[in-house]
Amino acid sequence: MILYGSSFMKLQLSLILLYILLLGCAHSPNHSSDTGQAKSSSPPGVLLASNSDLLPVKQADELNDAIHEEYKDDEHPDYADDANKKEKVKIADPIEPFNRAMYHFNDRLYFWLLKPVAQGYKAVVPEPARVGMKNFFSNLGFPGRFLSCLLQADFTGALTELGRVTVNTIWGVGGLLDPAADKKLGLRKQETDLGQTLGVYGIGHGFYIVWPFLGPSSPRDTLTIAGDYFIDPLSYIELWYAVAGIRFYDVINSTSLRLGEYESLKDAAIDPYIAMRDAYIQYRWKKIQERQIKSLLFKAGGEADAAEDLASSNK
Amino acid sequence: MKKQFLIFSVLLIFMLTTVAYAGVPLNTVEKTVKKVLDVLRDPQLKAPAAKEIKKQKLRTIYEEMFDRIEFSKRTLARNWNKFSPAQRAEFVNLFEQVLEKAYIDKILDYSNEKIDFYKENMVSENQAEIQSKIITAAKEIPVYYRVILKDGKWRVYDVVVENVSLVQNYRTQFNEILSDQTPEQLLEILHKKVKTHD
Repeated sequence: MILYGSSFMKLQLSLILLYILLLGCAHSPNHSSDTGQAKSSSPPGVLLASNSDLLPVKQADELNDAIHEEYKDDEHPDYADDANKKEKVKIADPIEPFNRAMYHFNDRLYFWLLKPVAQGYKAVVPEPARVGMKNFFSNLGFPGRFLSCLLQADFTGALTELGRVTVNTIWGVGGLLDPAADKKLGLRKQETDLGQTLGVYGIGHGFYIVWPFLGPSSPRDTLTIAGDYFIDPLSYIELWYAVAGIRFYDVINSTSLRLGEYESLKDAAIDPYIAMRDAYIQYRWKKIQERQIKSLLFKAGGEADAAEDLASSNK
Repeated sequence: MKKQFLIFSVLLIFMLTTVAYAGVPLNTVEKTVKKVLDVLRDPQLKAPAAKEIKKQKLRTIYEEMFDRIEFSKRTLARNWNKFSPAQRAEFVNLFEQVLEKAYIDKILDYSNEKIDFYKENMVSENQAEIQSKIITAAKEIPVYYRVILKDGKWRVYDVVVENVSLVQNYRTQFNEILSDQTPEQLLEILHKKVKTHD
């Protein structure tokens, strides 16, 4: 199973680090593709390259029979009582025309600017160096994550972050390496931000917004961009163009590690705008569920088995 | 004596089969994924020319692994009723093709990442969620398989990658499209998508 990895946590990282509206840095709506096993089982004899509109009659009949067989008593396949119904998260999209326009803008930005630059960069710089730079910027994100953990009453998480920044800065050569996440120490990065903090406190998204450069967001998550700005160490560097340059570099660097993900998303989707919106919602919702479980204040909100999942997946 | 022994052995067999049953969903999925990996790692099929052979082999494995009707039906949910049986059949077929074309190249790009199956959650008596993760150089990617028991076989009806459910994601897309277009038009869209991929 091949995955190009990163997910909206990367998007969130970008949201935290890039104050593009002020500094002109670019961010592309990168997002991990919904890769999954190709669910293919074409009936024998039907070539996938075939462009025929009709199935060979025999196979169509067999499939019809199978469908009838299975669902003859099933009038309303709503899956309302489905065991996994808890995932039916939705978001309102009242400004959809604007969002779609912004989505197209970001799309062009990615293909015309970010991708070419990142590809050039990738050709020149070997992967370990780029991963190192990613770790470096990630280390700088410590204040945001630390504060968010505290505000969510996740003290274990806050201490973990503290441990990480210490170990990674000292033993990780100024943050280039990530020894804290090694098996022995097992200090995992707490992927959280102020937007999730508000979510943990029960504040909903509001509605869907796509910002140019920044990508998918919502009023709640947008509020926190301002907050994140003040926690970002980079914001306190005097020379604005130096900061702009650094942030742009960070974007190119992280894009170079995730080339292909956005393309996969578009490829797999029937309507990429909706695919992205839905993935954003699902991802953020799930993250907030996880954070609630870790929080001392909101633990009761999470389900018992989800807590187990988290415990085992965090090993 | 004989009777007691008989009862005892029946009980024993019963207990053993119950114990074995507990891990069946995870074992089923894990075994199938291992079969896929075997095909991907097969040194004899490394050549680019062997790509079609690999694809064919993978297809037979997927047929076993996925419950394509369940998968497709769930992506339409309420909209399933809007489709005639013939349209449903065509939808199931087209949707498969869309998925295969979207993902097969990525799967063929597999380069020896480690896949770890670590948990099985019984959601109900005939549904389970198998949790796995792919461990690459830079990160760990959680992949959950949702399986359903039908006719004695556990089959996958949803894949959740990094907390994003594939079925849910497509369901939202199809719902949006079908809110102002007919099933025929959706089938046409899927058709175009499959064509452009060639």
